[in-house]
Amino acid sequence: MTLLEFARGPALQWSTIILVLGLILRIAGAWLLAHDKDYSRPRVDAAWRGGLRAVFSRFWPHQPFVRQTWFHILAGYVLHVGLFVVVFLYAPHIAFIRDLTGLNWPGLPANLVLFVGALTAASLVAFFVRRLVHPVMRTISTLDDYLSNLITLAPLVTGILAYAHFGGRYETLLAIHLLSVSLLFVWIPLSKLAHVITFIPSRFQLGAWLGRRGVKA
Amino acid sequence: MSTGLSQIGVRVVDAKTGNVPLLLTEIRHAVERLLDSGETHVIDLLALPLAPGEDKRIEQALGRGEASARVDALGPSEFQETAFAGVWLVTHFNAAGEIVGRFVEIAPVPEILQAPEADIRDGLRRLADALSGVNDAQ
Amino acid sequence: MRNDLSLSEVLRQQGVSRRGFLKFCAATASMLALGPGMAPVIAAALEKARRPSVIWLSFQECTGCTESLTRSHSPSVEGLIFDAISLDYHHTLQAAAGTAAEAAREAAMQANPDGYLVVVDGSIPLGNPGYSTIAGVSNVDMLREVAAGATAIVAVGTCAAFGGLPHAAPNPTGAVSVSDIIKDKPIINVPGCPPIPVVITGVLAHFLVFGQLPELDGLGRPMAFFGHNIHDRCYRRPFYEQGKFAETFDDEGARQGWCLYKLGCKGPVTYNACATAKWNQGTSFPIQSGHGCLGCSQPDFWDQGGFYHALSAGTSTSGVGLGVAAVAGAALGAASALGTRSSQHEARREVEQIVNSQPAAAGCARGGEQGKK
Ligand code: SF4
Repeated sequence: MTLLEFARGPALQWSTIILVLGLILRIAGAWLLAHDKDYSRPRVDAAWRGGLRAVFSRFWPHQPFVRQTWFHILAGYVLHVGLFVVVFLYAPHIAFIRDLTGLNWPGLPANLVLFVGALTAASLVAFFVRRLVHPVMRTISTLDDYLSNLITLAPLVTGILAYAHFGGRYETLLAIHLLSVSLLFVWIPLSKLAHVITFIPSRFQLGAWLGRRGVKA
Repeated sequence: MSTGLSQIGVRVVDAKTGNVPLLLTEIRHAVERLLDSGETHVIDLLALPLAPGEDKRIEQALGRGEASARVDALGPSEFQETAFAGVWLVTHFNAAGEIVGRFVEIAPVPEILQAPEADIRDGLRRLADALSGVNDAQ
Repeated sequence: MRNDLSLSEVLRQQGVSRRGFLKFCAATASMLALGPGMAPVIAAALEKARRPSVIWLSFQECTGCTESLTRSHSPSVEGLIFDAISLDYHHTLQAAAGTAAEAAREAAMQANPDGYLVVVDGSIPLGNPGYSTIAGVSNVDMLREVAAGATAIVAVGTCAAFGGLPHAAPNPTGAVSVSDIIKDKPIINVPGCPPIPVVITGVLAHFLVFGQLPELDGLGRPMAFFGHNIHDRCYRRPFYEQGKFAETFDDEGARQGWCLYKLGCKGPVTYNACATAKWNQGTSFPIQSGHGCLGCSQPDFWDQGGFYHALSAGTSTSGVGLGVAAVAGAALGAASALGTRSSQHEARREVEQIVNSQPAAAGCARGGEQGKK
């Protein structure tokens, strides 16, 4: 079995299974825990609306903090929007998802995605450096943070190299890219990267809880 | 009923491969070298990943010049001077009329068109033989 | 024809002029992808080159490779090369049959103690020697015997080079490639299903011209023909860059000639000369005809997860598999949550006991519970 056959075969197969199983396990495991009854009288009729609001409202930065956290906000947007573009709007990636789900949608030109990918990678590097040099960041960072950063960076870098045919034969570069993706898939449910999906229930829960008290958040 | 290629609903569009400008640039440099140092140059058109119809576009871009020639050796070969003097389009066919070689040659005269020395010697010998035959007859 | 004549002498005997010879050299350089500058070098080499003796062995194969070869632009440059080699044994093509044919093979082997070139098409079944025999001799035995005196072996076609179709899972005949059996001879792999005719003759021509093996890649393939992948030479590449893809074989994109990546094109990982040498006298090649590359010159191209699956798709991933994973994840999550619940209940009972013993503080305690969780 060649490296590419391994990457396209068992590696992708098991990593996607671990990704789906792990993420659903985490969400179901949290959701099905016993919820405490709240005996207070709700201030609004439908607290869940507050939950829904929170899921979306938190995509926008909180005004009073913008001055101090603009770097984080900006780089955060670059990182997340960039990842979205690279993962969901690049034709070979769409083909991967279509193969699994049957869903299909148009992509963007390859060199545009390449540019966005490079920006995204740069933002990850910036975050990594900041974690290392910023005293507060360094204090609150754990191994998980550093590893999550690097494991997210890996598919971006290998993908750009594969696209540019730089540093080896294409099949080797493609195999390495797919292996780095597999590593990311396995790492996501085991780490803070699980927020790719858990951000939704956690924002909802918090929004609903605050909403019940009449706080708009 | 026969289905010709034209009846199949496939349109081949102008794929922008950029081969033509690249080729013209290479030719330009080769012509400059020919003038500067007399160095000749050959470009193999069959080695280029040409899109459908691109061969025709190259032909059009080069145009036709004054001179053309034909050689019959192992099937026909065509030598067409392009609109740019010193730039030749050379096409070799086999006996069945299929293209076996297609080149752009940058030279005052394409190499194969020139009489090879071995053949000139051979011809001289035959000429001498013929002449002695004529003299004998007189 | 005498074996001690050089190729240029053979051509002259056939009435080919000096100009014809130069043209032949130019076409050969083009065919060998050597660049036109090499034509004089070829001419000089051919002045001296001797005609090699060739023994062609056909094993577990479909004759497609031989078909491809005999369909090469004949009569032509490659045809001349074939005139120039002495093809002493090819049991599919030769007139002699049975014992006479085998006698010709043995004679050729004995007449060339200094070595001969062996061309093999077809894989070699090891499962049961009876799966494929010639005159009662199993393929593996014949290969070993003939290879012993060979200068080099050219494995023509993906079957001989990598096992090919017979080798595809579950490989019922135990088919293997030439290089799986012969370890002590130089082997040139010329894969393809079938290989491009000029690539077959080009490799033979190279051997003839230079008397040595061409430069090979990691899979034993001549770099001259297998040095680039299809994708790098594909005229549809600009569409790939622009993100314009055919989604089905009859949509607007397909009609516009857009990239076939999403229809399963394996061009990016396939090394062959199709995009430049093309097929059927240079008419076109699969991608030009609207079908993605199958990757036929790569090992195990039958077992790469389907010809119509995009290269970026996994070969054993499936939506159903992930569905099962999702259900399993939910079940495991539920189980773990239920396990945790019993301790949650216990904790709550304790809290309620405390709360009940201090009725006035009840509201506060409950409010605080949420925060503690
Ligand atoms: S058709 Fe195939 S080889 Fe051509 S550009 Fe698209 S993916 Fe690459």
